Amino acid sequence: MPFTLLAESRPTREILQDLVLAKSSQTQGLLDELSQTGDSFVKEFVDSWRTGEVYLWESGEEKMVLHRVSEAYHRVSTNELVALDMDEIAGLSKARPSRQLRKELKKITDTIDLVSPVESVRIDAARKLGLSGKVEYLPVLEQRFEVEDSKKVRRAIEEVLLVHRLKNSEDPVESLETVKRLGQIRSFLGKESVEDALQRALADDNDELVLACKLSLRSINNRQTLVEQLGNLFRGLSLGSVLLMVSFGLAITFGLMGIINMAHGEFIAIGGYTCYIVQNLFASWFGAQSAAYQWFFIVSLPVSFLVAGVIGLGFEKTFIRFLYRRPLESLLATWGLSMVLQQVYRLVFGAANVQVYTPDFLMGSFEVGGASLSYTRLFVIGFALLIVVATWLLLTKTKLGLYIRAVMQNRQMAASLGIPVSRVNSMTFAFGCGLASLAGAVLSQIGNVGPSMGQAYIVDSFMVVVAGSVGNLLGAGISAMGIGVVDQFLQPTLGPVMGKITVFAVIILFLQWKPGGLFPTKSRSLED
Amino acid sequence: MKVFDTRFELTGFLAAAAVLLLLIPGLNAFVPEESAMHVSGFQLSLWGKYVTYAVLAMSLNLLWGYTGLLCLCQSMFFALGGYAFGMYLMLMIGERGAYKSPLPDFMVFLGYQELPVHWVPFYNFWFATGAVLWVPGLAAFIFGFLAFRSRIKGVYFSILTQALTYAVCLLFFRNDFTFGGNNGFTDFKEILGADINAVSTQRWLFVGSVLLMGATYMFISWMLKTKFGKVQQAIRDSENRVRFSGYSTTHYKLLIFVLSAMIAGAAGAFYVPQVGIINPGEMTAAKSLDVVVWVALGGRGTKFGPIIGAVAVNLLKSYATRLYPDSWLIILGLIFILVVLFMPNGLVGLPEQIRGLVRKFRRAPEAGLKEIPVSSEV
Repeated sequence: MPFTLLAESRPTREILQDLVLAKSSQTQGLLDELSQTGDSFVKEFVDSWRTGEVYLWESGEEKMVLHRVSEAYHRVSTNELVALDMDEIAGLSKARPSRQLRKELKKITDTIDLVSPVESVRIDAARKLGLSGKVEYLPVLEQRFEVEDSKKVRRAIEEVLLVHRLKNSEDPVESLETVKRLGQIRSFLGKESVEDALQRALADDNDELVLACKLSLRSINNRQTLVEQLGNLFRGLSLGSVLLMVSFGLAITFGLMGIINMAHGEFIAIGGYTCYIVQNLFASWFGAQSAAYQWFFIVSLPVSFLVAGVIGLGFEKTFIRFLYRRPLESLLATWGLSMVLQQVYRLVFGAANVQVYTPDFLMGSFEVGGASLSYTRLFVIGFALLIVVATWLLLTKTKLGLYIRAVMQNRQMAASLGIPVSRVNSMTFAFGCGLASLAGAVLSQIGNVGPSMGQAYIVDSFMVVVAGSVGNLLGAGISAMGIGVVDQFLQPTLGPVMGKITVFAVIILFLQWKPGGLFPTKSRSLED
Repeated sequence: MKVFDTRFELTGFLAAAAVLLLLIPGLNAFVPEESAMHVSGFQLSLWGKYVTYAVLAMSLNLLWGYTGLLCLCQSMFFALGGYAFGMYLMLMIGERGAYKSPLPDFMVFLGYQELPVHWVPFYNFWFATGAVLWVPGLAAFIFGFLAFRSRIKGVYFSILTQALTYAVCLLFFRNDFTFGGNNGFTDFKEILGADINAVSTQRWLFVGSVLLMGATYMFISWMLKTKFGKVQQAIRDSENRVRFSGYSTTHYKLLIFVLSAMIAGAAGAFYVPQVGIINPGEMTAAKSLDVVVWVALGGRGTKFGPIIGAVAVNLLKSYATRLYPDSWLIILGLIFILVVLFMPNGLVGLPEQIRGLVRKFRRAPEAGLKEIPVSSEV
């Protein structure tokens, strides 16, 4: 267990200090000790040592090793800063490793990641060493395989060893075993070498090996397809989540007020730009290196909701309220609004896209069976779920939600029972705009932020709303996920453009079958 | 059957025809260039462009103003007609292109060895002219059949037509769609053997555009008076009543949709040689919404409104994009919002609206009982 080893052994810095001071006959033990540390500092230090940034200093009886980092001297064993005057600096002598020692150190620094306490670093190191094709690393890898107890790392080491063996193997029996094993562990890395082995086996008329190669290739390919499909599904779900956030706002405003909001896309852009502004404010308040800066994204989520909500409320009060139940005219007026807003963004923020950074905690990805799921997309999916739950709670558990549902069902009746219809309208429109803006804030992590960023999603979102029955949130949710997933599954084979066109054709045909969408509103009124 | 409603309309129509067909081309052909009265070739093709836009607006008005279908793919039909005629013009360049090849330049550039099969018939002028009508017509027929059959109407129809435009536009942006990708067609040389940049050709194209506009105007005026036209307007006002009276509204709407697409296609065919370029930018959803602005501003459901709207907005655009390049879109957007909110009948309806307000203002102190109903149909 590397962790216990680390705990028992001396700190890396002390070993390094001893190594610098040691006579050539004593180095071997220290080198062995060093190679077990797995500390990334070793690499840094050895580099400095080779380039002459390590000094010896004798103060009285004590011999000290100093490490110069950006003009400052640190004591190697403790990493404390040592203040030296000009004379003392002049009295320093450079320490340089011997030729022999340099060779040994190179071997250690190359393989030290293999004993790193971080699992993913060990896996990467195993792949890098194994695929470098150098024979001298094989014993190191084999040794590590014996003591390693993380399954993933063991698998990675075994995989690269097998690939290496297959490449250099002359013995057909050994090749056969290796090919079989590569197939068993469904090694993507081994695919190429198995294909080579297949060619060789065909040339040698080795039927048994040919069969084994084909079987292995099939199981590798199957796994690869599975991983690709998984990736498609994942991307589809994240696209669907974005569409869902965008189309929820649309569905609510249309179902409630009969307003087709063509400027919905511009409210998405408000979210993106709010993130940008909050990010810049954080950078100027706390500095771009600080830990607080990382929080800008979390902070900008509620801020973008509020900003867009207030702006939406303003538009609702000034002119949208005159357009209730006149969908075609609302479509035209909000289109005018969308033109104005886009141009305003261009004048204020410039026509080019602005850069919104990804906070550290959303960097990187998460591996499932060979498919990598990036944290940003996972976040998008999780956040969409949160919004669905929040919207559902709002609609079913609050007084405003009760009012909203009442007005949706029968406007006049609701009004005559004393529900403040116009206030409900305002709040709902603001809520819809806020949702769009939240979607925009989240989009800043997976797409561009620019004046017309909303246009890329607005046509799709309208299709979501139409296919999922206007005003029906469950329908919007299902059709958003459906459209997102179908789109991502079609893209690899048909390309993005034909994929989109096919999705469009499918929706038109779907509406032939169900003209009212997934869950049409049941009504006795002819005109609904 | 009489085409025009009033003697005034007939006089106006003849006067406009005289100015556009005789005076302007005459000023171009017979007045020397130094004279202040001279109309240059540039001005001719500029006004020719406005005239084709006016026809496009009239075709949308036929749908939106008289049948109640807000179609957001009108500019796509316009561009389809333009592309069909542009294919003929591209082939007429012959070996005068940059690559000195019988193939159009973009095909050489993309590595085509020979002309794609569907391009070959476009060497024939009359085939291309036919395609200008039937290509948009067919597209409208297929989409309209599916949409009207499942009784998609109102705002759903608008959303789907917008998505259709979006999808087709994406398709035309692709290089391997054999229509020149995002560069489209340009650099035309000749039309029916005549130099396309010669002033005399531009004059004939202008005259042709005006004739198309006149013919469209007369056709729509005539159609509105037929029984067909009456049913069409009844569909706008209450589709269900028409359906219950035993008319198949689906068939009526489909026929009008196809007719309107063909008119838009013809306008596109006159647009391309006068402007000298056609690319997928002409068929975006935003362009279709522009056409809606023209009709709304001029006066929806009026015969003359779309013409006024199209010319007014484009004249304004020509000046505003030069004087206020940054705020032009803001101006256009605000016009749009204000027209929708305050001028339901557009510029043409403005005098009547003002008269109504004045009457209301005068009578209000007297009784306060009689409210003049302000029409606000959707």
